[in-house]
Amino acid sequence: MVSNDRLNRSRVFYFSLFFFFISIFGFLIFVLKDLVLPIILGILAAYISLPGVNYLKRKGIPKSLAIVILLGVFSLVVFVIGQKIVSAIPNEKENLELRVQLQYKLDQNFLALLGKTDYNSEGNFLDDLVGDELYQIFQGLNSFLVFNKHESSEFKKYIKKSMISERTLFFYNENLKHPFLSTPNSKSNKLNENTANKSKTKSASKIALFLDAISIWIILPFIFIFVLIDEGEIKSFFLGIVPNRYFEMAFTTFSNVDVAIGNYLRGTLLQSSLVGLVIFIGLSIIGFKIQAALLIGIIAGISNAIPFLGPVIGLGTGLIYAMIVEGINPIIPFIPANPIVGVLIVVFIAQFLDNAVFQPIVLGKAVNLHPLVVVIGVTGGSIIAGFWGMLLAIPTIVIFKVVISTVYRQAKAYYIIY
Amino acid sequence: MEDSIKIRSLWKDFSKELLTGQKQTIVDILKTIPLLKDLSKRELKVISKFAYERSSEINEFVFEAGQPGAAMFIIKEGEIKIVKKSDNDEYLEIAVLQTGDIFGELALLDSSPRSAGALASKPTKAIAIFREDLNGLLKTHPEIGGKIMMHLAIITGQRLKTTTNHVIQMENEINKLKEKFNGKQ
Repeated sequence: MVSNDRLNRSRVFYFSLFFFFISIFGFLIFVLKDLVLPIILGILAAYISLPGVNYLKRKGIPKSLAIVILLGVFSLVVFVIGQKIVSAIPNEKENLELRVQLQYKLDQNFLALLGKTDYNSEGNFLDDLVGDELYQIFQGLNSFLVFNKHESSEFKKYIKKSMISERTLFFYNENLKHPFLSTPNSKSNKLNENTANKSKTKSASKIALFLDAISIWIILPFIFIFVLIDEGEIKSFFLGIVPNRYFEMAFTTFSNVDVAIGNYLRGTLLQSSLVGLVIFIGLSIIGFKIQAALLIGIIAGISNAIPFLGPVIGLGTGLIYAMIVEGINPIIPFIPANPIVGVLIVVFIAQFLDNAVFQPIVLGKAVNLHPLVVVIGVTGGSIIAGFWGMLLAIPTIVIFKVVISTVYRQAKAYYIIY
Repeated sequence: MEDSIKIRSLWKDFSKELLTGQKQTIVDILKTIPLLKDLSKRELKVISKFAYERSSEINEFVFEAGQPGAAMFIIKEGEIKIVKKSDNDEYLEIAVLQTGDIFGELALLDSSPRSAGALASKPTKAIAIFREDLNGLLKTHPEIGGKIMMHLAIITGQRLKTTTNHVIQMENEINKLKEKFNGKQ
């Protein structure tokens, strides 16, 4: 009787404690949501680097020095990539020029695709078949490129000051001739105004934004260092609060999950890097500038971690660049001079290698997710947290899947459930 | 009365620690185990990083028969009974282990089910060392992992010899009984 009372009391105690901690934890996550991403990325980076630290330790390098070396490598990579990205991001004038150029090229390529010389001429079979539908999509794309009032007046100012090259001016005048684009619809105009306002506020407080980002992201290297320095204390703490009955099961679950997730994350990183590398090399071969090929390779590599949509993002980035690039010289002579065909071939090869070689070798069949789960997960992730949500959705689902299946298997093996 | 004894023993422990500047660390306990006897203090320190201390109350199972084995245990203080359920659901005592003894060591080799249960017959503190950690040790510190595996093989071999002797003895006994039985008929 006494022991039953004691059992009930301890149940109430543990339940209250659990509820209390969950509430505090939930509240903290809600209040400090800006810190969640740097913390998650710090932990992921540490997780991925763990075998690197162990390797350096085996080579006789002290752990602290190994961590410093890895942190240095990470910082260097982030710095180099960051610099490339920053140097590739256009300023306001370049942005307007780029949009004029892109709009013109898009127009030309669209007409070429339908086999037309202008909008009133007869097209090919594609025009007959889906011409109207494609035109809707084309208009949708164009609505992102058309200038709003503010941008138009800015661009005219640049023209007056003779800051715009003759070629861009030619594109601009050609665009104005286009009968459908001279009167952009109100919706797209509003959208553009919004983005213009956003970019205005952004440029006005760039330093404040930079400092803001620094103050939040400064936590990442600390998380990285402390997770790597840990000698099992974190695991010890969690195992310490597990009752004796579940102790061995908890440890086994912990280490199985650790191995599975570590392999998955490192595999995904390796797979994405390989895809990015193939695209970088491929684009360099078809004659893209090294800087552009690197940037597109990085974008394609990172987004490749998003199932289904990732390759489309990589392809889209490559195609947009292919449309505006001029005078490319393929390294190998028999490669087609048309950059769009080149990008399509490169992305196709990268995706073929990814599906036929990288995925089976790197990931194996360790974590198979149903395509439906993947689609819902990625969409849900994008609703919750935009691009980062899409990127981290599948790893999160995989982590949950591994944890739940391992706990279930172990609980059965230890006769905790039947 | 009981409280005063507790306070006195607490003071004794504390004063001993204060005067000698020593507390029985996990390394000290690990040093006493035959399985780890060849290891230096530095090597034992490496092992102590993944040694987990657990406390069990009287009549609490450390592990039960049939569960997959994941860890070996070393008794820091207290008493453990190795028990097995009989056909009529009663626990048969196979062995009684004291401070410094190890149990469940075969779990360091594979995860096959425990052949018997381990029950605390006194309030017990035990140190757990897991197979997964030992496997990791074989990669990061092969010389330490190798020594432990070597000793584990020796201990298992000795136990096999003892078991074989027991089986031979029992067979002899059975044969003698058979002869007696046949002679009577």
